[in-house]
Amino acid sequence: MPLSRRNFLKVGSSSAAWLAAVGCDQLPRELRALYESPKRSGPFQPPTTQDIDPVSHVLNRTAFGPRPGEYTRVHKLGTTPMEAAAAYVEQQLSPLQLDDAEAENAVRRFETLNEPLGELFEYQEELLQNELMRGALTRAIWSERQLYEVMVQFWSDHFNIDPSKGDCKWLKVADDREVVRQHALGSFPEMLRASALSPAMLWYLDGRVNRRENMADKPNENYARELLELHSLGVHGGYTQTDVMEVARCLTGWTVRSKAQEPYFQIGKVEFKLSQHDCGGKQVLGENFPAIPANLDKTRREQLGQAELDRVLEIVTNHPATARHLSTKLCQRFIADEPPARAVEIVAAAFTQSSGDIPTTLRALFATNEFREARGNKIKRPFNYIVSALRATGASTDAGMELIGYLQRMGHAPFNYPTPDGFPEPAAPWLGTLLWRWNFALALSENKIKGTQLDFATLQKNAGGDAGLMAHLLGRKPSPDEAQAYHESGAGLALILSAPAFQRC
Amino acid sequence: MAEVQSILTGNGDQRQTLVVVFLRGGADGLNLVAPLDDDGYYRARPRIAIGRKQAVHLDGFYGLNPLLQALEPAYHDGALAIVHAAGSEDNTRSHFEAQDLMEHGGVTGGGWLGRFLRAQNPAGSGPLAAVALGKSIPECLRGSPAATVLQSLDDFSLGDNRSRLTQSLANLYGAQTDVLASAGRDTLEALRRVQRLRNTPYLAANGADYGGDDFSRGLRQVARLIKARVGLQAASVDLGGWDSHFSQSLIMDPLITRLANGLAAFYQDLGDEMQHTTVVVMTEFGRRVEENSAFGTDHGRGSVMFVIGGGIKGGRVLGKWPGLSREVLEGPGDLPVLTNYRNVLAPILQRHGAGDKLSQVFPEFNVAPLPLYG
Repeated sequence: MPLSRRNFLKVGSSSAAWLAAVGCDQLPRELRALYESPKRSGPFQPPTTQDIDPVSHVLNRTAFGPRPGEYTRVHKLGTTPMEAAAAYVEQQLSPLQLDDAEAENAVRRFETLNEPLGELFEYQEELLQNELMRGALTRAIWSERQLYEVMVQFWSDHFNIDPSKGDCKWLKVADDREVVRQHALGSFPEMLRASALSPAMLWYLDGRVNRRENMADKPNENYARELLELHSLGVHGGYTQTDVMEVARCLTGWTVRSKAQEPYFQIGKVEFKLSQHDCGGKQVLGENFPAIPANLDKTRREQLGQAELDRVLEIVTNHPATARHLSTKLCQRFIADEPPARAVEIVAAAFTQSSGDIPTTLRALFATNEFREARGNKIKRPFNYIVSALRATGASTDAGMELIGYLQRMGHAPFNYPTPDGFPEPAAPWLGTLLWRWNFALALSENKIKGTQLDFATLQKNAGGDAGLMAHLLGRKPSPDEAQAYHESGAGLALILSAPAFQRC
Repeated sequence: MAEVQSILTGNGDQRQTLVVVFLRGGADGLNLVAPLDDDGYYRARPRIAIGRKQAVHLDGFYGLNPLLQALEPAYHDGALAIVHAAGSEDNTRSHFEAQDLMEHGGVTGGGWLGRFLRAQNPAGSGPLAAVALGKSIPECLRGSPAATVLQSLDDFSLGDNRSRLTQSLANLYGAQTDVLASAGRDTLEALRRVQRLRNTPYLAANGADYGGDDFSRGLRQVARLIKARVGLQAASVDLGGWDSHFSQSLIMDPLITRLANGLAAFYQDLGDEMQHTTVVVMTEFGRRVEENSAFGTDHGRGSVMFVIGGGIKGGRVLGKWPGLSREVLEGPGDLPVLTNYRNVLAPILQRHGAGDKLSQVFPEFNVAPLPLYG
């Protein structure tokens, strides 16, 4: 029974005194999460293989890295490492069946994340932005639904919205919840439609000012272009400039009430305005859209005008270039920066056959030999790097702004990418961030990040000593060079977290 | 090693530095440098054109946006040249495609600046040969023998007494065989060099007044590195946010002010050092000639480039002007590109020592250098 915010507020005033009197251990689980991060400890068996085995591989690649003891837990899911890895991924593909109360309790402190759209406007923009970032970080660290969180990040990039633009400051919170998180392991066509009609997206890519009240008005092409170029077909997907303009015409009239408009309680409401819709005939990717006859009644004309959006989305979703584009991006995320052609084909076929069902598409990807063999060949992006370090060390953290400061320096704080293409996935643009990673590793290992704390002695003991700790962090036994560096560096934990192997996944 | 020492002691280093300013989002060249004498301009933009009275008149035909006034001294000194109707051959009107193509310098591996630095430094370059001010390395520096992301010199450090850790990292990164090897080596080397600059306070020269925004701060750091002679050959500074589909002046005016103030302060601060420094300002494409219904402009083609530096025969607006009549406009109504950006970069790279290596920098393109230097 989750504790609602209201119930908590009822006991709020006395809870501090109560806490002082009884100590954290006696608090109910729901309340405890407000004060400290979940802990997981006890002795565990680190990897004993020379190379990364299939279990370490899936924990590094489809999750944000293992927590202490997780490697052992996953191993028990099968009789061989390969079987165990496959069973783990299968569990992860059904996130709702994994109990995630711990993570959900941990993010409950970020109360704006659950506010209804209209009420978001009651908050300061900075608080909303901070809670979005802290919520994303907290969930990535603590959630049992790791693949789901990985996919949330993937789609956040795919449908990137920079909240600094206009009303997106408020609306992005709802977009994150109702578009990205709602559909991250669901159906791509449904996610695309939710995104097309997301108030934040209508702001960010100017759909709200895409109108044609008379023939002199020029439709705003911004969303139409990114829909084709980024969200669906891909830039070489075979569309023309005319297609972009025609899609923009089909989408004219969809708008969103802005903060500057009255009545106040309708801010963020998405509306279709027939008077701003271009009712002329159109052609998109070779398909004809008949003109909407002027002699029909208004309701019918509205229905026909609105249906053009659905038809456009259907055409682009079913276009073979969309399957290829998404498959290429997924393979780049999960297999290699230069995705192997055979895997791209297999995954694109699964996407097409399942009508864009995301778990089915991913299942096909994880079953390829290309995925299984491509171990340790990707470089973690800074967010992944920091989350994996916090998970591996079992650190407790409030995911506070000092921690987020490290992500900002590396240019990878969530919801901080200015253009619609999202943070880049390949390693190259991130190679300049090594110094900041080393700085972070030092600060984390020396407990110098405010709000973040690790217990080195316990971690080292539970891993069975220095060698076990290194194996746990590296996902395999350390090389002689690594072991030597660990002892010589004078800062062993920081050294391993800074080492080349820990930058890989 | 000898070269490294000479750079660190500041003796005999006569490096020329190329500073690339990228205006991301497609900057509206027509409202940065307006064709005041072309009536078509005022017909197409009844609400957002730069008025003849407000503009800073340059040559009887063109006028600067009044917010660019701070650049007037450099123009009259002959150190600033402007190239109009410039851009790339990319006609996707996609930010990402157009930026990508422009920064790569064609459909080819690596960025044009990265390839230039490789051609210049076949044995590898110093770790501070190329610096990207900001948060990530831009595509133009892809493939560079060294490129460091830098936001501030002051926090570019692992702290004190880290020599054992640094040595251990050097051992582990040195044993790598992929991109992490060079990334680790460059990071450690850059760390050592910048450490020496850290405790020296910096005062801009000649009364130059940098703003407090990221763009000005970036140029200030570049000026500092140039004067410190750390072997800086190329620096990249971005100024983003030019995608003015909507309420153009609200979006562009603050950016234009930042652009003008930053460049003017840099020009003033460097003084005689400008002799071996060049700044080139570019953008992926311009905006549609006609304004749209939302007081903005949509993605177009031709825009404007600025070049400030030593030896330039400036005080001119170069490039042909096609006029703005319907027949000359391209596609949905865009200023055509009459000067390919590579032909603006080519003479600059030659001055910076590219010599006969231009074909390595711009393969698959027959370069016809614009006569920037006379």
